[in-house]
Amino acid sequence: MALLEIKNLTYHYPDTEEPALSRIDLSIKEGEFVVVAGGSGSGKSSLARAIAGLIPDFYGGRIGGSIKLEGRELKEINRAKLAQKIGIVFQDPENQLIMTNVEQELVFGMENLGLPHARMKKAVMEMSGALSLYPFLKSNITQLSGGLKQKVALASVLALQPDILILDEPTSQLDPVAGEEILTILRRMNEENGITVILIEHRLERCLHLADRIIFMEKGRIVHDGQNIRDALKKAFDKGDPFITPLAKLFAAAGSKQIPLTIKEGREIIRQAKSEKPELSWSFDSEPVTTKNTSDIEQLQEKTAEKIYANNTPLLEVERLWFTYENGQETLKDISLKIYPAEFLIIMGENTAGKTTLLKNIRGLLHPSRGNVTISGRSVQDMTVEEQATKVGYLAQNPNDYLFRPSVREEILFTLKNLGMEKDADIEDLMEKFILKDHADYNPRDLSTGERQRVAMASVLAANPPLVLLDEPTRGLDNQMKAILGRVLRSLQEKGHGIIVVTHDVEFAAEYGEKIILMSGGQIIAQGEKHMILSESTFYSPQTGKLFHDIDNSVLTISEGVQALTKIVFRGGIKVVS
Amino acid sequence: MYTYKERADFFQSLRCETSLTYISLLVLLSLLISNPIYLAAVFIALNLVIHAAGIMNEWIVYLKYCLVLVLFIILINAIFVNAGSTILFSFPDLPLLGKIRITLEAVSYGIGMGLRLLIMMGAFCLLTYSVDPDLLLKTFGGGKSRIMLALSMSLRLFPLIADDFMRITEAQRCRGVDFKVKSKRKRVRNYLPVLNTVLLSILERSFQMAEALQSKAYGTCERSHFSEKLWRPRDIFVFAATLVTAVITVVFLVAGHTAYNYYPRLQAIGLDDALAAIVIGFGVLIPALLTWGWKKWPYWRLKI
Repeated sequence: MALLEIKNLTYHYPDTEEPALSRIDLSIKEGEFVVVAGGSGSGKSSLARAIAGLIPDFYGGRIGGSIKLEGRELKEINRAKLAQKIGIVFQDPENQLIMTNVEQELVFGMENLGLPHARMKKAVMEMSGALSLYPFLKSNITQLSGGLKQKVALASVLALQPDILILDEPTSQLDPVAGEEILTILRRMNEENGITVILIEHRLERCLHLADRIIFMEKGRIVHDGQNIRDALKKAFDKGDPFITPLAKLFAAAGSKQIPLTIKEGREIIRQAKSEKPELSWSFDSEPVTTKNTSDIEQLQEKTAEKIYANNTPLLEVERLWFTYENGQETLKDISLKIYPAEFLIIMGENTAGKTTLLKNIRGLLHPSRGNVTISGRSVQDMTVEEQATKVGYLAQNPNDYLFRPSVREEILFTLKNLGMEKDADIEDLMEKFILKDHADYNPRDLSTGERQRVAMASVLAANPPLVLLDEPTRGLDNQMKAILGRVLRSLQEKGHGIIVVTHDVEFAAEYGEKIILMSGGQIIAQGEKHMILSESTFYSPQTGKLFHDIDNSVLTISEGVQALTKIVFRGGIKVVS
Repeated sequence: MYTYKERADFFQSLRCETSLTYISLLVLLSLLISNPIYLAAVFIALNLVIHAAGIMNEWIVYLKYCLVLVLFIILINAIFVNAGSTILFSFPDLPLLGKIRITLEAVSYGIGMGLRLLIMMGAFCLLTYSVDPDLLLKTFGGGKSRIMLALSMSLRLFPLIADDFMRITEAQRCRGVDFKVKSKRKRVRNYLPVLNTVLLSILERSFQMAEALQSKAYGTCERSHFSEKLWRPRDIFVFAATLVTAVITVVFLVAGHTAYNYYPRLQAIGLDDALAAIVIGFGVLIPALLTWGWKKWPYWRLKI
């Protein structure tokens, strides 16, 4: 008997015509690790909440069909019992933690169930040990990092020893290191404790190798459900689905029937090709055949330099910038950089490297302790933050901070009115530029994450500032939304805007950036053209870069990877195995 | 600035019931007593308790805002209440306001009311920084007391909302909203979008927290309690001191000593009043004395 059996499940949120879930049939066995993927609005989160019993109890609405847990209808199981059977971890670590103290949060669920003191003490000891939370037990939750908060949320759910653990995009708000930690814990829980895991995740490259099964959803329906994950990825590619891993996209686009799930598998496929076609001049041992060799990289750098130096005046000049917060924390140390028109710079680094502080200094929200920031030749300190709005557009990490007007059009108009530009600007053109025309009269808060972000972007760029700053714009976005964001930024770049993006998303950086800065401890550790920086990096390298590391270090993007692989195929390289 | 931080100090080691009883006493004293000498004694003792609790820096921030309010109270009372026989300043007839006489009695009354406000704010400061909001929820919450749940979650959300406010203000400044505009009317109008966005953010956060509560089966059963702090002699001392002070205050109240007449002339204050004020102030001071003993005297620390 399946642990969880869903038959013909259909659900409508209150006052909606379109079903959020439509005739879902799903059977999950004990101990399975299931990954659920799909775009925004595909029904993944609704499915998660239906399984957790939150739909319809918490949300209301109309539900049809059945969900059975161990042969019993979910609606017949009382909430207390259900919480011990099914646990759910939500996306935002901040808003799912009730208590202010870590230890109290771990026991909160157990106290709700009236569990005895001894059992709670044991669970705290086990969970804090298993998730390395012991040093933080007495800590105030508000002072923890996002990754630690999410671990606390996970621990508090695991303390109830559920049979099924549902996680709704648990890593989307976290940096890569913290995200990896969470996924490692899940793997352990699944493999060592046999907990059934249902994981909703956009970044499939991080978790597919852990999964027994993948489910793709679209418009409230399951469009694919299978254990052959490679097959599922190939089919998704053939359909033009954006929700596949970069590796899968790369190999499928190159015509390979072998779809690797990990870098190791990918390199093994290439190694196999080498061993079967020894006449290939391209190998691991000899000189790499490069689509772009070292001198090509230098040429690329010069070309980029030509483009940016065509206009000699830098848009932004940061000279020997130092910044210390009031509490004495020295966050920026001797930072110098320049941005020219039509340049796309990516800034990367670990948490607390000073990336956001740097953006805020550029934007004038913070004032340098030492050094200078000039925008188009004018010192930032000579301008108010409000005056700079026509020179620098700044989008902070949370686009919701910008949204309060009842429609997208009014949101954009708000900025224009503040700057006295409402008569000069073409709002329709702006909405077209940010792919918002169809949503002009919608309330921005009713839109998807990616759409809200574009509304926020449009609202800060309404005045057409030459310099654009974005802080973690890809956080919480799926591949499709990221691609749209990338296109929008590219079009801005083509129009001559200088763009600076702070991101942890290496794939996005490799695909769209030109120049990369790596920061650590408040300093610039490395800066240069993206191929130079990312291909030499172990951690800050996209999947394609890692795949071709020491084979062809000039390959970073998917298109470069496809070109490289296709050359191998044309040379009879990759063995096409069905 | 707005968050409770766990510290290894005396006041935080008390049971929640003990701390809350003590804080309730402070509020009660501020409401029952109108004699400024008594209020001053309570206020001085409270400051010493706050210092002993290690939250003086936080209290100073509260004080800055409160003193502005107190000044406002004194001014309003002095300008609009023309009662009192000791005239300090007198102004000619002004339109709408008429003849203004600033009397010592009116100013004193304002100071007295100000002291009450300061004591209440001091009590609130102690509640925020020295009482674990989680324990507050657990002691009086569970499925039964929704008011305590609301209070505790407010304390949890307060720092988040403060951060939201800062971030949203920055975001709106980046869109050209000027919060330093000279016209007060315009400044208020400019803050409306910020408050609107903060409110939306609070609603979204609250919804998600409610969903988390639902998923963790809150309110389904009789709640159990974890990490109950044991009853220790320190709790008994503070409890006893609080109760005795409360009883003494009630006795003085019934005897009419805690009341004070400001008008038409300030009531004379005798030695009796001073001694009674010292007694009540001493009762309020007990936690501070215990804290100092706890810090300085290892034997005492072990025993209580």
